[in-house]
Amino acid sequence: MVKGLEDRLFNVLVYAVLVFCALLAIFPILYVISVSITPFGEVLRNGGFILIPRDVTFSAYKTLLTQSNLPQAFKVTVLITVVGTAVNLILTGLMAYPLSRKNLPGRRIFLLMIVFTLIFSGGLIPTYLIVKSVGLIDSIWAMILPNAIWSFNVLIMKSFFEGLPEELFESARIDGAKEFRILFQIVTPLSVPVIMTIGLFYLVGHWNEFFQAIFYVTDRTLFPLQVIVREILMQSQQTLENADNITPTQTLQMASVMIASLPVLVVYPFIQKYFTKGMLLGSIKG
Amino acid sequence: MSSKSIKRTALLSSIALLGAVVSGCGNGGDSEASSSPSNSPSSSSSASNPASTDAATPQATADSGKKIKLEVIETGNNLPAPDQDIIKKELDKALNVDFNLTVYASGDDYKNQLNVRMASGNFPDLFALDRQQLIEFSKQGLLLDLTPYMDRLKQASEFIGEENVKKGAVDGKIYAISKSSQIPYNTYFIRKDWLDSLNLEVPKTIEDLKTVAAAFTNDDPDKNGKKDTFGLTGGELNGAFAPVFGAFGVGSPGSIYEKDGKLMNALYDPAMKDALAFIKEMIDTGSVDPELLANTALQHQEKAFKGQAGIVWIDWPNMTKENMIEQIKAVNPKAEWIQMEPPAGPAGKFDGSWEIGNTPGRYAIPKALEKDPEKLQRVFDLLNYVSDPKGGSLLVQFGVEGTHFTKDGDKIVMTDKAGEVGYSWLYQFTGRPEMSYLQTKFVPQAEFIKFANDQPRIQTLNGFVDLPEGYVASDADRYIKEELAKFAYGQRDLGEYDKFLKTLETTMKYKLFMDAAQAQLTALGYGNK
Repeated sequence: MVKGLEDRLFNVLVYAVLVFCALLAIFPILYVISVSITPFGEVLRNGGFILIPRDVTFSAYKTLLTQSNLPQAFKVTVLITVVGTAVNLILTGLMAYPLSRKNLPGRRIFLLMIVFTLIFSGGLIPTYLIVKSVGLIDSIWAMILPNAIWSFNVLIMKSFFEGLPEELFESARIDGAKEFRILFQIVTPLSVPVIMTIGLFYLVGHWNEFFQAIFYVTDRTLFPLQVIVREILMQSQQTLENADNITPTQTLQMASVMIASLPVLVVYPFIQKYFTKGMLLGSIKG
Repeated sequence: MSSKSIKRTALLSSIALLGAVVSGCGNGGDSEASSSPSNSPSSSSSASNPASTDAATPQATADSGKKIKLEVIETGNNLPAPDQDIIKKELDKALNVDFNLTVYASGDDYKNQLNVRMASGNFPDLFALDRQQLIEFSKQGLLLDLTPYMDRLKQASEFIGEENVKKGAVDGKIYAISKSSQIPYNTYFIRKDWLDSLNLEVPKTIEDLKTVAAAFTNDDPDKNGKKDTFGLTGGELNGAFAPVFGAFGVGSPGSIYEKDGKLMNALYDPAMKDALAFIKEMIDTGSVDPELLANTALQHQEKAFKGQAGIVWIDWPNMTKENMIEQIKAVNPKAEWIQMEPPAGPAGKFDGSWEIGNTPGRYAIPKALEKDPEKLQRVFDLLNYVSDPKGGSLLVQFGVEGTHFTKDGDKIVMTDKAGEVGYSWLYQFTGRPEMSYLQTKFVPQAEFIKFANDQPRIQTLNGFVDLPEGYVASDADRYIKEELAKFAYGQRDLGEYDKFLKTLETTMKYKLFMDAAQAQLTALGYGNK
């Protein structure tokens, strides 16, 4: 098949635009990486801008990992992320599955209640009061339980489950499977894409945990990564004339940003293949 | 049969989930209702700890002997984890408390946290707040009126001084303990090696300043053959030109000060137009940082370090501390920055303005603590302890004697371990004797500290003024900033200055502020000469 000139030109144009977009995304990341491994004096000498590092040092990472609150915060964040995502997935799945069954009595009412929370929320102070009275303040659970279920994700999962062919359930039942067996041995393996997708949403949400930590936690040892990274970055923002304040260099700041974002950056590619699939599957019923 | 069981299981599991949600709410409501009447100050967050200490030492039910958990929140950074926090451990020991300090890096985050906690009744035992919050919270009856307790806060009030005690008052009642006053840090810094390479003198007048800035821009002071430098930078207009405003006898825009015995607002000062005209001339020569208005935080410092600017108005810590020198020398080993006196102008010389009505920080105690006299006493103990020049004040200033500092007679000498407690300022709830503190802690910078402190400044009084209702300071401030920038950059003709004031008075309700300032400051005895 011979492609016309027009087609080829079009392809070139598409590639050019895509390459340009990719560069737009890569540029800042490269800048952050480069500055984080260059001695600060070198950064300044180059007018604060470095893309390809010549003089490489990991001293900033070493400083952060040995002399700051970062390692502790890292542990907290990993804990929140792992436990939190597990809690999220179990609860969201258990809520979405029954709601996807058309023969569930009162299904409309339950769905309405869920949609209601999508549109209206109790607001900050009532939520704080609940978290406080349940005794979650100043505990790791304060960063996990208040957002254990995101209504939106329940709806995505529900419509995915609805898309599973009814025949599967029937045949499982004919083979003698009970409800739990159907859920765990038929539905779950078929739902890997949606579980991965929703899991990634939750995971990134937990990794970026910030506001709940700021509001519900006052114990420094329980602060997650983003709070500490923000603290490091904010120090250079403050013009507060405090003689004792030691402003972290740009190198240190960038290194802290890298430490905070690298793990998620690494996880993404592995989940990506499910990601695109899962996103679509949630929306189209087939 | 089977379809029934589906229904049942499905129904059950969704009800179970729903139940969990609903009961969560229910619990919340219940225990809230039960806890709020008693209004126990040591509510849920701190309840667990004292309970466990009680169990461990059952005899400690009477007062005094019990270890009490104290919770303090404020803005700050660099606080180490509690187990590595030497100051915390010392305070715990000295006051028999379990001290829990939490700091928030961003002022906005802190404000949110404080507002939520005040609204929900989960009060910290001591917390930092700004003047506006002080007024609001005290009107809502959330703060403890300290007036009757002042005799129990003797040490603290002596330490901060009578005038600072007054700064914590609202309608004659004292609701907060203010920190003792700071001293000014800022001056112009100028590149000595650039002056030398162009055979120039340190500028003495504002005309000199203009000439030198132009020379720094046009005559290639770094001799690299490129026109890649400019004269002056600073943090926005008010920062870079503070001493220039001063030379005209004008305070920073929006400030209020005494001039010839009368109260004067900088914007209404007749010399303001002259100052703006001069600034415009200087900007027109092209010798001022072209991104001046976009300089936030410490960008002007970075430009100075990079060798782009030759004059910068900045504080001494960011220019002369060892790690800063290191950075300057890393870029250019020959770079040499010196402080200079403010250049003289028609009204003499003033290194910008210095606010005397404000305080570097203030701390309040929640009213709820009234019901727990034992804990309240510990908070007083804390405030008194960190104000004791022979005891706790030394701890929060310099660390542990023998480890972080040694005493040579009356003189305090920091040891090389002093860096371990570099965060101790977070615990200076009543401030510090600024000059001696800095001179002890920053020995190599002693000259710079003294120099900055010795420069004459226009004393502004805005800190004494409580904003009237209906006046939105942030809107007015933004409008002032934008319009002044337009005047300085020639986008609006100075002939329209009076029109600008008119809009400010009417649309931005600046008149309200002016009247309030006049009334309040007159009542305090200013401008009555």
